[in-house]
Amino acid sequence: MLGYTLLLVIAVALGFFLVAQNRAVRVADGRLADLHSRPSYHGLYSLLWALIAGVGVLALIGIGGSWLVTSTLLGRIAAELPEALRIEHQLVLSDAQAIARGGIPSAVDALREAIAEDFARLDAIRRWGAMLAALVAALAAGTLTLSQVATPFRARNRSERIVRSLLLAAAVIAVLTTIGIVLSLIFETLVFFDNIGWRLDKFLFGTRWSPLSGVMEGRMDPERVGAIPLFAGTFMITIIAMLVAVPVGLFAAIYLSDFASARVRAVAKPMLEVLAGVPTVVYGFFAAITVAPFVRGQSTWIIPLLLVALSFFLVSVGLILLDRIVPGSGRRLRGAFNGLGAIVLYVVGAALMLLYTYSVNPTFSFNVASESALAAGIVMGIMIIPFISSLSDDVINAVPQSLRDGSYGLGATRAETIRQVILPAALPGIVSAVLLGVSRAVGETMIVVMAAGQGANLTWNPMEAVTTVTVQIVMLITGDTEATVAAGPAFTLGFTLFIVTLLLNILALRIVRRYRELYD
Amino acid sequence: MNDMDVAETATRAAEGRPAGQETKIAATGVDVFYGDTHAIKEVDVAILDKTVTAFIGPSGCGKSTFLRCLNRMNDTIDICRVTGEILLDGDDIYAASLDPVQLRAKVGMVFQKPNPFPKTIYDNIAYGPNIHGLAANKADLNDVVEQSLRRAALWDEVKDRLDEPGTGLSGGQQQRLCIARAIATAPEVLLMDEPCSALDPIATSQIENLIDELRADYSVVIVTHSMAQAARVSQKTAFFHLGLLVEYDDTPKIFTNPDDKRTQDYITGRFG
Amino acid sequence: MVDMTALSRVHGSAAAQGRMRRRRRAEVRLKVYGIAAILLAGLALVTLLWSVIGNAQGALTESYLTLAPDIAAEGVTADSDAEALRAVNFDGVTKDTLKAAFPDVTDRRERRELYAIVSSGAAFELRDAVLEDPSRIGEGAPFRFLASDDTDLYLQGFFGRLEDRAHSGQARFTSSDDGETVDVFLTANDLADTLLIVKERLRGSARTLRRQAALQDAGVRAFEREAEGATGEAREEALTEVRRRSDQRDRLIAQAEELEDRASRPSVAEEIGRSDPSILLRIGDTGWVKLTEVEPTGGRGVVLGPFETESVVDPSDWSYFVLDRPEAARSISDRQIVWIETLRSEGAVERQFNTRFFTSGNSRQPELAGIWGAVVGSFWTMLVTFVVAFPIGVLAAIYLEEFAPKNRFTDFIEVNINNLAAVPSIVFGLLGLAVFLTFFGVPRSAPLAGGLVLALMTLPTIIIASRASIRAVPPSIRDAALGLGASKLQTSFHHVLPLAMPGILTGTIIGMAQALGETAPLIMIGMVAFITEIPGGILDSASVLPVQVFSWSDFPERAFEARTAAAICVLLIFLIIMNAFAVFLRKRFERRW
Repeated sequence: MLGYTLLLVIAVALGFFLVAQNRAVRVADGRLADLHSRPSYHGLYSLLWALIAGVGVLALIGIGGSWLVTSTLLGRIAAELPEALRIEHQLVLSDAQAIARGGIPSAVDALREAIAEDFARLDAIRRWGAMLAALVAALAAGTLTLSQVATPFRARNRSERIVRSLLLAAAVIAVLTTIGIVLSLIFETLVFFDNIGWRLDKFLFGTRWSPLSGVMEGRMDPERVGAIPLFAGTFMITIIAMLVAVPVGLFAAIYLSDFASARVRAVAKPMLEVLAGVPTVVYGFFAAITVAPFVRGQSTWIIPLLLVALSFFLVSVGLILLDRIVPGSGRRLRGAFNGLGAIVLYVVGAALMLLYTYSVNPTFSFNVASESALAAGIVMGIMIIPFISSLSDDVINAVPQSLRDGSYGLGATRAETIRQVILPAALPGIVSAVLLGVSRAVGETMIVVMAAGQGANLTWNPMEAVTTVTVQIVMLITGDTEATVAAGPAFTLGFTLFIVTLLLNILALRIVRRYRELYD
Repeated sequence: MNDMDVAETATRAAEGRPAGQETKIAATGVDVFYGDTHAIKEVDVAILDKTVTAFIGPSGCGKSTFLRCLNRMNDTIDICRVTGEILLDGDDIYAASLDPVQLRAKVGMVFQKPNPFPKTIYDNIAYGPNIHGLAANKADLNDVVEQSLRRAALWDEVKDRLDEPGTGLSGGQQQRLCIARAIATAPEVLLMDEPCSALDPIATSQIENLIDELRADYSVVIVTHSMAQAARVSQKTAFFHLGLLVEYDDTPKIFTNPDDKRTQDYITGRFG
Repeated sequence: MVDMTALSRVHGSAAAQGRMRRRRRAEVRLKVYGIAAILLAGLALVTLLWSVIGNAQGALTESYLTLAPDIAAEGVTADSDAEALRAVNFDGVTKDTLKAAFPDVTDRRERRELYAIVSSGAAFELRDAVLEDPSRIGEGAPFRFLASDDTDLYLQGFFGRLEDRAHSGQARFTSSDDGETVDVFLTANDLADTLLIVKERLRGSARTLRRQAALQDAGVRAFEREAEGATGEAREEALTEVRRRSDQRDRLIAQAEELEDRASRPSVAEEIGRSDPSILLRIGDTGWVKLTEVEPTGGRGVVLGPFETESVVDPSDWSYFVLDRPEAARSISDRQIVWIETLRSEGAVERQFNTRFFTSGNSRQPELAGIWGAVVGSFWTMLVTFVVAFPIGVLAAIYLEEFAPKNRFTDFIEVNINNLAAVPSIVFGLLGLAVFLTFFGVPRSAPLAGGLVLALMTLPTIIIASRASIRAVPPSIRDAALGLGASKLQTSFHHVLPLAMPGILTGTIIGMAQALGETAPLIMIGMVAFITEIPGGILDSASVLPVQVFSWSDFPERAFEARTAAAICVLLIFLIIMNAFAVFLRKRFERRW
């Protein structure tokens, strides 16, 4: 109905365009050059005003009226059911609206039917009123502008001023969106915190998450809104994802920028772009159908492999730390046994790790949950690979050729140039790429919804199912619980997510901007 | 500076030349192709030890390209192809057995724009000795860094701030840092690709003095746009034009009595 | 003091050569890491596509069972009016048709199994066909009943295929006393190989038991150690635990040994359980026996299809099938397989390309479900997104590039746009829920709401791309237009914008492609609801392709897995088309100033 009104207003505005244009031609009386503005600008001027007046009034009455109707009816319901909660009032109203629109209400009783009747009446008044008022406003504004058509009238300058304001309005929409996000999130967050008696500590540091199970008369149990398991789960999956994405993405970027031939680049770059263009829901399907069963089925060798990788990591970190504490000692250890020291150290480390595992679990039979953090993390890592690699590729390419030349000119190999000159120079950019990657991993929803668990489980074991902030938001919003109850914790989690990603993005953009200033 | 002055300076510079140098680099029949472009055509040149050799010529004549052949910097450009023979102390530098990385340790290079690494001054100098294993211990490394900075006439200016970033120095200091960095790698030949083109006159004269001192130990090859500079610092000059080596001779001869008409036109400023 | 001139001798030394080899190795290592990274990424992409495309094939066919329904039995004739026809219980007709085809099936549970081989939608299709052409009633004309998802999966070979094994013996079947089972006697040991399979399963079970025993054993040792170090009550507790666990261990080992013993004797008869491969014997056209006990020369079985017992059957008149996947691991029973095979041998089974998948809406039954509803929903949603985001994005870009003064407010807008581009999509969903649904009262699940949310998400992409494109138009064009007396606005709209348009369109298409694949925010605003109708406009309830993928992936039926994958393929095809078009635009109109 309002849509048709909108079309009608547009039609009226177009009509005014033609009328005003014609009138301008007539006013000029054959000497078009006498007009200050060409006839079409007179038309445009009329069109703009008719449109602005019509659409403005329509929006005002259509939306404001809707608010008015709702609050009137809510007031009436409140008068009828003074002891019921606000949530119940809203339920009655939404049922009444369903009845009025011919939908399926959750319950039907005398009050609901009466309210439905009122709603139908008021809503009809609102719609017809909006339509009438919008048309009248458009016609009035248009007619007014028609009277202004005259030879000296500066229609072009005036319509340009209007268009300019429209341009500004379009740009301001981005700001409005941000404000809308913040306001809508903050409102429900405050309601939620009020609901749990402002026990922010319970939300931020509690370890038990089951917000809907302890609802008593609309109030939540502060003991059951601890989000630590969600933060921990998000953190674990993000870590796994970054462990996959950062090395693969970074090495791919290094290879593509400094080693690969043009032919390899011509194949590898589009491949990474395709990987970047795959929708996340497809990654989720991949995780749930292929990767999770694979990890679960092949755990007998995947887990030892991971353990060996972990031991390699620990040995490397140990050597670096040793070098820090006693300079040169790490290098000497590596070089021992005719330069085989490093290999010996890694083998010994891996053997110790496997021996320890054997002493704990002699059959190497591990229990992997079907929705393990590992599977979700790996797939999320794959999703982020192209992100890291393309951003890193950009910053590595932005390192000036003169630095490469300087290094090669001193007789450095490509590996030495990359490790000692290019990577240190590109480090800020790479760090910011990683931060943006983390921000994406934290906010990623579909992969974890489809492949990670749903129960809040506080664990260190990546083979178990964990849940994340985004999964809980989806579960709360799509769950069976009354929306007004579930919205509180969901929007609070959303707000937390928004703040964290916002901080990460701002930090990353700041780092990258400083880096750009360095080389531009 | 008019051409008479140039010629006079060249004569003076040549007087300081010690006798009996050996050929350090011998290039015969060198051709360079960039894709389909024939950038260097049949160049033969013998560069002497403990001598400053200047390559001059108009823009795009191939002098920088040829310079980059001498330490195989052109290898880093995919489409570049070099044919012909270049011998360093009698060894073919384009031989399959020779590693360009090792060659570049012996044939150091300083570039047009100062390009200090985003590291400390100390680390900039220590970079070469570290990758080539020139210093047995920390004390030796300190010594190499100090000597290199001293030879580059930079020591007094930076000795108190060795751990500050090299990018914080002034342009002239940065270029001397780059020269010190090249010296620290202990090369035998030093290639300089218009090392003063981004510098002011004072910094330029400092660098030119430095080049003159370096002649005692190294064979220095310098590409320059400025004929005055070539005349001031070099003992031998090669004139390139359109990828051809037009004339190669003692610097005073080139600037006073060139054999080729094109050389004469260039040094008298008819083109270039 | 280091002699610098002497240092240059190091470069040619043997030590330098050795060092060089190490340095080269480090270089090769880095290169290998790089290649490995690229290959890993490639492997991930290939595996992903392979797992999607490989799974999608199952959705490309559908199966029909051709049977002759007796509609006249319901008391209607070809002359009956539509009212009467509509009143016919077509579900009953379908069931009766199946009963008539297999009259031996009398047990209620078995009948339910029988009904399950056709789709629950088949009755509706029969009704529609009869309403359209009532003459079907009189003739008892054959009708193609849509097969159920499990039937179709079986016919696709999803559960494995009946493997026809070679045999040489004559067979004799004797009814046992209870009449339900038959004893099978063969003149050759044709079933020896089957028995081996069963024995192998026994060995596998034994291995599992032994693994469990080993775990218990580790526990025993752990508690023994604990007992050694402890005193008093703790020691007692530990010892109790030791006893309990060693009992458990011994019991497991005993079971394992028993199984291994049975497995080691090849001629001892074994029972065939639900976890063993199915062994079906076929006698003549309709006779089927499912073995429940097997020995090399016979066994005992259940009759699944009628035949004459007590006679000797020649090897050519009976066949012997093995289905490797055990009955417990598939959603179709041996009995159903026998019915389907019987129909197949009568030529009543047909498989064809599944056009229904591309033309129908959602359904809870995999064989009836299609993606057309989601495609149309995606179309309406994208339409809203484009209509909202494109003009706003372009106007905002023009403002920021051409008109915006350099001040803090403009900076603020820019920072805002950059940050919006990185806000998690689910937060946009929450915004849509709070603002569009709750505040503005846009209907839930409507493409209007989804389109608006996606428009806000796409806006930063379009603005950033448009600005880059506008910036690339050289100032000389603007100067020329301004010099001719055009106003700044005329310059922007008449000269700059047309030149920047290809770039803007490329950016817009890429943004729209991202929006097309977006799922999470649409789930937030209820587009995940189960909607069977094809949406007719932007206010109807609708789903979209990626959300359809998500909701199908959650359904338990195996056949939905294939449909999910096929829906992904359709989604990917749309994305490829859009991106290819963007690349084409960029290539075609790319201009370097």
